Amino acid sequence: MSFKDQIAFVRQHIRRNRLRVFMTVLAATMGTAFLIVLASVGFGLQKTIKDDILSNQMVTQIEVYSEDMTDAKADAMKKIDHVEAVVHRKSLVPMAMGELEGHTGSMNTYFTDFGDEQASGFKLAEGRFPEKPGEVIVGSQFAAQLIDESVEVEEGEEPASYEGKVIGQTFAFSFEGENDETASKTWPFTIVGVKEAPGKDWAFDGYLYLDESFMEEMESAYIAASSDNEQEDMSFTNSSVNVYADDLANVKAITQTLKDDGYAVYSVSEEIEQIDVFFLALKAGLIFVGTIAILIASIGIFNTMTMAVTERTREIGVMKALGAGPKLIQRLFLMESAWIGLVGTVIAVVISYGVSFAANAILPIVVDAALGGETGDSFKVTFSVIPWQLVLIASAISLTVAMISGWRPARKATKTDVIGALRHEL
Amino acid sequence: MIEVKGLSHSFRVGKKGKETEVPVLKELSLKARDGEIVSIVGRSGSGKSTLLHILAGFLQPDAGRVLVDGTDLTSMSEAQRAAFRLDRFGFVFQNFQLMPGLTAFENIELPLTLKGVPAAERKRKVEELLESTGLTEIRGHYPNELSGGQQQRVGIARALITEPPVIFADEPTGSLDSETEQDILNLILSLNKKYGITFVIITHDDEVAAIAKRQYRMHDGELTEGGLRHVV
Ligand SMILES: Nc1ncnc2c1ncn2[C@@H]1O[C@H](COP(=O)(O)OP(=O)(O)OP(=O)(O)O)[C@@H](O)[C@H]1O
Ligand SMILES: [Mg+2]
Repeated sequence: MSFKDQIAFVRQHIRRNRLRVFMTVLAATMGTAFLIVLASVGFGLQKTIKDDILSNQMVTQIEVYSEDMTDAKADAMKKIDHVEAVVHRKSLVPMAMGELEGHTGSMNTYFTDFGDEQASGFKLAEGRFPEKPGEVIVGSQFAAQLIDESVEVEEGEEPASYEGKVIGQTFAFSFEGENDETASKTWPFTIVGVKEAPGKDWAFDGYLYLDESFMEEMESAYIAASSDNEQEDMSFTNSSVNVYADDLANVKAITQTLKDDGYAVYSVSEEIEQIDVFFLALKAGLIFVGTIAILIASIGIFNTMTMAVTERTREIGVMKALGAGPKLIQRLFLMESAWIGLVGTVIAVVISYGVSFAANAILPIVVDAALGGETGDSFKVTFSVIPWQLVLIASAISLTVAMISGWRPARKATKTDVIGALRHEL
Repeated sequence: MIEVKGLSHSFRVGKKGKETEVPVLKELSLKARDGEIVSIVGRSGSGKSTLLHILAGFLQPDAGRVLVDGTDLTSMSEAQRAAFRLDRFGFVFQNFQLMPGLTAFENIELPLTLKGVPAAERKRKVEELLESTGLTEIRGHYPNELSGGQQQRVGIARALITEPPVIFADEPTGSLDSETEQDILNLILSLNKKYGITFVIITHDDEVAAIAKRQYRMHDGELTEGGLRHVV
């Protein structure tokens, strides 16, 4: 019997039992759709959380820690494959003060190389990078921390911070010492650029960015002014090195290389890896629960096929009497259960995409309304994502289960006794 | 040519553990030459159908051999016997055994479909046969839309379509009135003449048995040749 004729034969059987086959397909569809939609929530949450991490961080940034970091070591890192930039910042340890038009504040200061910073993606909200000595860059909230102490404020009110223009302003920088000598020298710095605000709302950037070339001069002035015991206790600066990969895909490899070189390293790839492991377990769990739904549907397929075989006992007997072999009989019935599984799966996939789309469109609105419209723009949750891998896994599970549940009835059909079947009443 | 030698068969009946052996066929032999009509007549329960089931390969006997053109059917596997049937045998049943979901045309076509004959050739052959058996008008009817006589004609056409050398018929006229019975017997006779098909007909009716050239009588599982004349 040709394959085409086999299909025609199976279709004829299905047509004769439309309602029952329809109900079975419905059960298979519901089981498979349940699996896909359930697991899609796992994929959706994973995407939401990953997107959140990736949008709020310099994802290509790798933080490197070392007790004894030097410029030479930092430069060596530039030679690692796929490293775009290495920024070696030195944060000032001694306390320092800034004063601008009567507003004062403590200075959190970085010495850095602006060339490297630019290569790493350091962007200015306004202004330009320093060109002459005495020109500096400040963080986006630099002005907010300069406070006029002379203005009286009532309790619970914000102190009077500097609200004037920042660019082009010159302020006085000095060390804050216990005695007057330490504070003797002051540097006038002119703000020529303001750094772009960080991605996260809560991240506070009130830093002062100075060119490395100032460091030596400041350090010697500081040492000269301060007492002996002060210098012994602490170093003038702390090093922090950030390595920037050219692409997120290469972060992991660079992270590994740096680890192998003996550095303590943190990158987003570490965090994403942990998230991936967690979600892999979650998704596996959801798929397992969904598979139970498919197994329940498989009882329907088993039932339908067993009934089909029992009902057609006489027909199977006639087919065998005419010369249909056991293999053919088995195949005809397996094809029928496979058809149920296949149609159920195809419909389930279509429905799942529909449900997923609807959930993503409607649920955020519902949640937003429930929370009194306070979630705002930052509330960007993807509830459900159906990647092709999920479709593949669900289809494989559903088809396998359909075939397995159709297998026993098909075997039963092949064992039909011709003589008994021919005696069978209509 | 079909040759049966020393065929014995018994059924085990009764409750499990307390079964008793009921011998149905006892060391019987039979011969059917090519192109002959052979009849086996006997009372109900004498074992006629059981014999036919063994001849057709539906049932494996306890002992004895069934040779079809020298090939021993009893030594084949189930799948081999099925293939052999498809190739060599046609069947006509007392209650017609048409497929309820198939039209007359499709029922007649079924053995060719099982054989894997291409659709165009199937159509040509079935149409030819419908014509020669006078069934063209009812080609689109389903079995439940046909009379008993029409159903049996379709059944015979189905047995004939693969042009098998042998057709087995178990009570082919058992469900029909005597006039229709005569029609069917005439059809069998003409097909036997025209195509030289060997017919093995089982019946309890002496009149039906009378169309056969070689007649066997079955009595309590034993077979004797030329029984008809002795009885009459
Ligand atoms: N599957 C079976 N199990 C047990 N006994 C059986 C079985 N099939 C047939 N028999 C017995 O074998 C004997 C012969 O049965 P068979 O059907 O061959 O008779 P028959 O000559 O065809 O009768 P009829 O003319 O009524 O069709 C009967 O006594 C019957 O009870
Ligand atoms: Mg009988």
